[in-house]
Amino acid sequence: MNKKKSLIFIVLIISIAVISTSSVICGTTFCHAGRQIRIISLSPVITEGLYLLGMENSIAGVTVYCQKPLRAKEKEKVGAVVEVDVEKIISLKPDVVFAMSLTSSKDIKKLKDMGINVIIFDIPKTFERLCEIFLELGKSTGKENEARYIINASKRKVSDIKKRMSALPKQNVFIQIGAKPLFAATNEFFVNDYIEFAGGINIFKEAKSGLISREEVLKRNPDVILIATMGISGEDERKTWHKYKMINAVKHNRIHIVDPDSICSPTPVSFAEYLEEITRIIQK
Amino acid sequence: MLRISDVTCGYGAKIVLNGINLEIGKGEFAGIIGPNGSGKTTLLKAVTRLIKPYKGKIYFEDKELYSIDHREIAQKIAVVSQNLPIISMTVREYVLLGRMPHYKNLQFFETESDVEVAEHAMTMTDIMKLQDSYMSEISGGEMQLALIARALTQEPWMLLLDEPTAHLDITHQVNILDLIRKLNKEYGLTVIIVLHDLNLASEYCDRLILMDRGQIKKTGTPEEVLNYSDIEEVYKTLVVVERNPLSQKPFVLIVPEEVKKKCRR
Amino acid sequence: MMKKRTTKWTLYIFVSIAFLVLVSIISLCTGSAGIPVGKIISILIDGKGTAEYSILLDIRLPRVILGFAIGGALSLAGVILQGMFRNPLVEPYTLGISGGAALGASLCIILRLNQIIPNVAMPLSGFLGAFLVILPVYLLNIKKGILRMHGLLLTGVMISFISSSLVILILAISRTEDLQGIIFWIMGSLEEPSWVLIWTACFVSLACLALSYLFCLDMNALTLGEEEAIHLGIDVEKKKKLLFLIASLLTGISVSITGLIGFVGLIVPHFMRMLVGYDHRVLLITSFLSGAGFLIFCDMLARTVIAPVELPVGVITGILGGTIFIYALSRRLFL
Repeated sequence: MNKKKSLIFIVLIISIAVISTSSVICGTTFCHAGRQIRIISLSPVITEGLYLLGMENSIAGVTVYCQKPLRAKEKEKVGAVVEVDVEKIISLKPDVVFAMSLTSSKDIKKLKDMGINVIIFDIPKTFERLCEIFLELGKSTGKENEARYIINASKRKVSDIKKRMSALPKQNVFIQIGAKPLFAATNEFFVNDYIEFAGGINIFKEAKSGLISREEVLKRNPDVILIATMGISGEDERKTWHKYKMINAVKHNRIHIVDPDSICSPTPVSFAEYLEEITRIIQK
Repeated sequence: MLRISDVTCGYGAKIVLNGINLEIGKGEFAGIIGPNGSGKTTLLKAVTRLIKPYKGKIYFEDKELYSIDHREIAQKIAVVSQNLPIISMTVREYVLLGRMPHYKNLQFFETESDVEVAEHAMTMTDIMKLQDSYMSEISGGEMQLALIARALTQEPWMLLLDEPTAHLDITHQVNILDLIRKLNKEYGLTVIIVLHDLNLASEYCDRLILMDRGQIKKTGTPEEVLNYSDIEEVYKTLVVVERNPLSQKPFVLIVPEEVKKKCRR
Repeated sequence: MMKKRTTKWTLYIFVSIAFLVLVSIISLCTGSAGIPVGKIISILIDGKGTAEYSILLDIRLPRVILGFAIGGALSLAGVILQGMFRNPLVEPYTLGISGGAALGASLCIILRLNQIIPNVAMPLSGFLGAFLVILPVYLLNIKKGILRMHGLLLTGVMISFISSSLVILILAISRTEDLQGIIFWIMGSLEEPSWVLIWTACFVSLACLALSYLFCLDMNALTLGEEEAIHLGIDVEKKKKLLFLIASLLTGISVSITGLIGFVGLIVPHFMRMLVGYDHRVLLITSFLSGAGFLIFCDMLARTVIAPVELPVGVITGILGGTIFIYALSRRLFL
C-alpha cells in the first residue's frame, strides 16, 4: 500500500514538472517523411470529403456517425461528434485531427495541449462557405488541386441549375425540420440555400427563430412543404398538414418528405446532386 | 439565580405570556403547575432562549440572559424536554452528548473524566444496563430516564424539566423525583420543574407557581397554593383538597361525575 | 468501550482509503487506448515522451484527481445538508445551486463569453450563476437573524424549477451549435484540460473538509433537532449559516467545473450513514473518501462501457448508485 502511494506521489511530481515545462509535445515524433499522413476525422461531413479527395487510406479514425460512404464504417471509431475519446485519438497517433466547431472545446483543448494538430471548421450555412471549407480541407491534406477540381465541377453544376430556375416562377416553400415542437429552417440553416438555388422562396427565411406556429404557416400559404424530420414523425406530420385544406401545398398535394441527412450535411458534390432532386420537387 | 422581569412573549402574533415577574433563588426546588395552554412550556422556552421575549428581560445570575455565551449557559443550565427524540444512536452516545458544553475548542473526543461523569449519571438514573441499546429500541419511560441522565451529565447548576415523568410508572416516578430531590438537597442543584401531577408537585417542590392564561396566579408553598378554591378557579373542575397522612402535604382529589351525583344526594 | 469505537472508526477510514486508492489505480489502468496493465509501471518510469505516457498522465490522471475532488466535495456537501435539514431527500442540488449554475453556463455559451475568455469563462459563469441564485434563496429565509430551514428547502426547490425553465427557454431559442454545448455541459463530465481548475477544485474540496470537521460535534448535536442543540450549548444560528456556506461553496465549485453530476451527494451520504452510523466524526471523512472513490469508479465505467463513445458520468452514478442503494436498503429491511 505504501509503495504504491509513494510511487503515485512521485509520478504526480514528475507529471507536474512535465506539464509546466513542455506546452507542446512536438509532433515530430509522429511525422516521418515518406510515411503516409494519418488523419482523424471528427465529423461525418469531413469523412465524406476525405473520401472524395481520395484520402481513404490516410484515415486512421472516424466517429460512430461517419457512415457515408458505407466503407467508412469499417474504420477505427474514436467517439461521437460532440464528445470524443481523447485517449483513443492519442493512441492512434494522428498527424492531424479535423473537427467541426460542434466538438467539445474541452476535448479539443486537451488534444492541443498534448501537441496534436487540430484543425477546426465552423459549421457551414451556405454553399459558398461549404466550398471554402472543402478547399481548406484539400489544402491541409495536400490535395488542393483535387479539391479545386471537385469544387469547380460542383459550382458549375449548381450555377447551371440556378440559371435554369431563374427563368421559372418562384415557388413559396416551407421547410420543416422539426416536429413537436414545430421547427422551420430559417436562413441560419443550410437547406435555405437549397431552396433558393432551386428557384424557391423560403417563407421563413427572415424569421428570428425556427420555433414557429402552425398558424403562421397557414398565413404564409406555401406552395410546397418539405418535411425533413426523421422516421415516422415525417408521415405523421404529412397527415397533419393534410387537415389544412386551404394551404396551396395541400390543395395540389405537394408535401414531400426528404432525408434530413442529405439535406443538412452535404459535401459540394452531394450538394449539387441533392439540389437536382430538390429542383425536381419544387418545380413540378 | 433566575430573575424574570416583566416578560411578555409568544409565537408570532399570538401572545402567550403577559408581564411575568418571577424570581427563583439558588437551591430552590420550584414546580410550575397550571392547566394546558397556561404558558408553562412557553415560560421554560423563554428561559432556555428558544423564544425571545417581546418585552422585559430575563436575568441569570444577575447577568442578562442574552448576553451570556451559548456554551456557558449550557454548562450551567440543563434542560429535560417533553419531546422524546427519534434518533438512531445508542443510549451511551446520547448521554455523552451532555458533555458537549464542557468540551474545549478543538476537542473532538471525550476524555476519561467525561466518560466517568456520563457513567455516573447513567448509574444514578438506573440505565447503565441499557447503555448499548439504541434509543429507538427502548421504551418511552427508559428514554425519559436517558434524557434526565443526559441533563445530569451536563453537570448543571440549574435543572429545568418539562414533564419528566409523563411516561414513567410510579416506581420510576418516585425514583427520579427522589434522585432530583437528593441532588437538590445535597448538591444545591436549583430545580424548576413543570408537572401536571399536582400531588407529585406537592410532595417534592418547596415552592409552587400556579399559572393561568399567561399570568402567574399564585406562588408560594404547596400548602398556600394548593387550596380548592384556587385550583378550581384555574383548572375549572371540582376538586377536594386533603392532607397526605404521611407527609402532611396537601393532596388533591379529583371528583368524577358519578361521585358528584352521589354526593349531591 | 472507547477503544472499541476508535478501532471501528479507524477501520472504516482505512477501508475507505483503500477503496479510493484501489479504484484510482484501476481507473488509471483502464481506458480505450488499451495499455496493458503489466506495462504501466515501465511506461511511467521510462516512457516519458511516448503517447502512452501522455495518456496516463495527461488524460487519465487529471480525471482521477478531479474525480477525487468533486466526488469528495459533493458527498461532503450531501452529508452536511442532510444533517442540517434532517431530511434524507436533501442533496446538494436541491437548494437550487445546480439550476443557477446551469443558467450561468447557458448564458455564457449563448453570449459567446467562452470564446472571449477561454478556459475560465465557463466555470466562472457557472459559479456566478450558482451564487446569484443561492443568494435570494438564503436572504428570503432569514428572519430576525434566524435561518428557517423549512423555507430554505422550499425556496430552493422552487428556484431550481425556475432556473431549469429558463435554461429550457435558452435551449429553445439558441442555435444548433450552442444547443449541444449547453446540453453536454448539463450532462456533466470530468474532462477538464485546465490544471488550474483541477487544483482549485482539490484545494477548495479539502479545505472545506477540514473546515467542516471543526463542526462535526455541532452536527452531531443537530441530529437531535435545533432545540436540543441549543440546549447543548450550540450557537445554532451561527453554525447553520456557516455550514450552509460551506455546502454551497462545495456545490458551487463542483457544478461550475464539471457540470451536473447528480446522485453522488444523495446516495453516498445515505450509504455511509447505513454503514458507519450517524456520528459525523467518522461520517465526514468516510463520506468524502468513498464519494471520491465512487465518482472515479463511475467515470471509469463511463469511459469504457461503450467505448469509444463516452457516457455522461451522471448516468452511471445514477444507475449504479441507485441500484446498489436499493439493494442495500432491501437487505437491511429483510435481514
